[in-house]
Amino acid sequence: MTIDKGDKLPAGGAGGSPAGAGEGTVPRRPASPIEFRLDAASGVPTYLQLVQQVEHALRLGYLKPGDQLPKVRDVVASLAINPNTVLKAYRDLEAKGLAAGRPGQGTFVQAGLSQVTLPELAGLRKSLLGWLAAADEAGLDENGMVALFTSALRDFHERRSGPRTRGGAAGDGTEGVA
Amino acid sequence: MTPLTMLARPEEDARLRPLPWRRMAWVTWRQHRFALGGVTVLLGAFAVYLWLTGLQLHHAYATACHPVSSLACAMNFTGRYGITGIFVSVALQAVPPLIGAFAGAPVLARELETGTFRYAWTQAFGRWRWAVAKLVLLAVAVAAAAEAFSLLFSWYNQPFFAAGYVIPLSTRVFDLHGIAFAAWTLAAFAIGVLAGMLIRRVVPAIAATLAVYAGLALATTVYLREHYMAPLITSRLNLPGSAWVVSQWYAKDGRFAFPSRGSQLVSALSRYCPGNFDGSPAQCLSRHGYTQWSAYQPGSRFWPFQWIEGGWLLALSVLLIAAAVWLVRRRAA
Amino acid sequence: MSMSMNVIEASGLGKRYGGTWALRECSLAIPAGHVAALVGPNGAGKTTLLNLAVGLAAPSAGGVTVLGGLPAGSPEALDGIAFVAQDTPVYRNLSVADMLHLTRSLNRRFDQSYARARLNELGIPLKRKAGRLSGGQQAQLALTLALARRPRLLVLDEPVAMLDPVARHDFMATVLAAMVDDGVSVVLSSHVLAELERVADYLILLSRGRVQMAGEVDDLLAGHRILTGPAAEAGNFAERPVVHASRAEAQAHLLIRAAADDPVPPGWEAHPVSLEELVLAYLREPGAAALPGPAREPSKVTR
Repeated sequence: MTIDKGDKLPAGGAGGSPAGAGEGTVPRRPASPIEFRLDAASGVPTYLQLVQQVEHALRLGYLKPGDQLPKVRDVVASLAINPNTVLKAYRDLEAKGLAAGRPGQGTFVQAGLSQVTLPELAGLRKSLLGWLAAADEAGLDENGMVALFTSALRDFHERRSGPRTRGGAAGDGTEGVA
Repeated sequence: MTPLTMLARPEEDARLRPLPWRRMAWVTWRQHRFALGGVTVLLGAFAVYLWLTGLQLHHAYATACHPVSSLACAMNFTGRYGITGIFVSVALQAVPPLIGAFAGAPVLARELETGTFRYAWTQAFGRWRWAVAKLVLLAVAVAAAAEAFSLLFSWYNQPFFAAGYVIPLSTRVFDLHGIAFAAWTLAAFAIGVLAGMLIRRVVPAIAATLAVYAGLALATTVYLREHYMAPLITSRLNLPGSAWVVSQWYAKDGRFAFPSRGSQLVSALSRYCPGNFDGSPAQCLSRHGYTQWSAYQPGSRFWPFQWIEGGWLLALSVLLIAAAVWLVRRRAA
Repeated sequence: MSMSMNVIEASGLGKRYGGTWALRECSLAIPAGHVAALVGPNGAGKTTLLNLAVGLAAPSAGGVTVLGGLPAGSPEALDGIAFVAQDTPVYRNLSVADMLHLTRSLNRRFDQSYARARLNELGIPLKRKAGRLSGGQQAQLALTLALARRPRLLVLDEPVAMLDPVARHDFMATVLAAMVDDGVSVVLSSHVLAELERVADYLILLSRGRVQMAGEVDDLLAGHRILTGPAAEAGNFAERPVVHASRAEAQAHLLIRAAADDPVPPGWEAHPVSLEELVLAYLREPGAAALPGPAREPSKVTR
């Protein structure tokens, strides 16, 4: 499935307000509600950072189904990353069912992430706090907890989806990294 | 992992037509404005001088030198302007090598020295066509300017010729008029171009050009030019005024005695013709059995010599420039 | 034009200067549509390889073709390739406008409006002499001229060596945007390992004139991993190609060539390897060589 890079925009990025998809009468091509950033020092592969940022934006409501993902050309021009990397990230999102390409127009959000309900979230959070207390009692410091969690997460991923070429996520950016 | 989808490209000819030569006209002009301007300034300055002095010369000749052998001519013309004429012709000898060195050497040497050849030789025009166009344009420009200048010099020098002060075949002026001046300038340019390509640095190439030119000019004036055609040999003592005497010697009883210069002549004269004597040394010695022989080139051979010298200089220039282009083509990066 | 064309193909390519071989037995097939990074220490032969590819030097051994089989340096190759050499040479006495005019005169295609718009965006005045521009501006000028020729392949020799970080970013952003806009393929040589992962998706590692490693970055990273475990057992890996080992008293890290599904020995941990780590490890082990993996068969392109 080919993903189209969409029209060229003049150099300068695609950032716009979340309401940019607009129901105005002006027939203007909507800009993407989100803009990517790159953390070069994080050790996380570039394409994966893009995927994670899209998923994160979906979770927090910045992106809704029907919104357009940033045009490949704009991402490349503002972050100076390889266009094939952006394409790879978008293909990854397609494979997960989160996005779909429309020829000549761009890539658009297709579905939200499976929402976890609020009570479920609260329950998960409570059990996590319990685990943290136990780890603290056992003598692990913060970094130790993060390391243990990260390696367990990697094992979990590998067992679930087969060995991946690049390691699992280092966790969401917002969840207080030490 | 599929690569980026490529946009459709307009179909291009499988065999591309070469770009038109005329594109190099602007390129050559713009890149070598400084060198061409320098040539113009150099020749222009001399031209102005020749024009102003030449007017004076012609006026003085016209008023004083009828007849040529008069005292008035000797005082107001030859005596007054003769030395200047000599200085001018000596100074002008330096013009072709200067033009050749400063216009010719940097053409290729600067590209190689500054690294701009990495730009110029990767453009679609193609490196050897680029070289040919540039060198031919510059060579023609330089030669044409030189030829125009030498016409002016011929006009300037005309009174000296008419007064017999100097002859056209004379070493001092032979390569300043006719077609020789343009040919020498062209040859200097070609030497400069090839030196630049071989040495790859501008300043050493300029030095090498001047050195090679000096050697070539010296060899031509001292030896080569005399032998373009076999000199005429005569024992006459009254040679025509326009004749260019190549060598003279004395013979006795049909055998070579001694050259007409040097210590042997001096000792012969002191033996046979001491003190005052009638006529020239040659006439005096002839009374004692010594015949003076002269090898000379008659004045009528001026233009044949010009064609010969111009011809081999042109052939040399073409050869040197072709060699430079061949080196460019050979991908000597 | 076939999509699976190789932009640069070399077989047994070698170049000798005097008695020294600057490049030897170089065999490569760089596919189109990628940013191929040529990496290696000084004197490894990167500039030599690029010079051979753009026709500035002739091979002493073997051959190189470009853009799907064209001889390097041929008129068709010159037409389709734009080269920016190290130190981005421009004619110092010509103005920027003159350089535009010059490049337009010497080429078949020249997008004048793109060039002017781009220089305007960068704040490079047309009247200024090229020699008076800053290093970054000169590099951007050279790049603009190259891109305005609408080449199919852009070859850059250490393009960002002289640039400050902002200029570097802008330069690469321009190059990469051109990939999106025009389908230009890029081959560049680089020292800056840290930025490789972001920019390159094909890697060629040169060391002492030979190709140590060549292939798509994803394939190369997938084919290596780091095993961390007890130093005492580090010698047990005779049957696995160990590229680089660093060991202390108790612990050792081994960079090995292994597929993703190779079993991890008990007591050892496996980590993926980053591009920077991989390149550094190979550079430190000049004897190691990964089989170069051409992305596809050398194509016989019919035009």
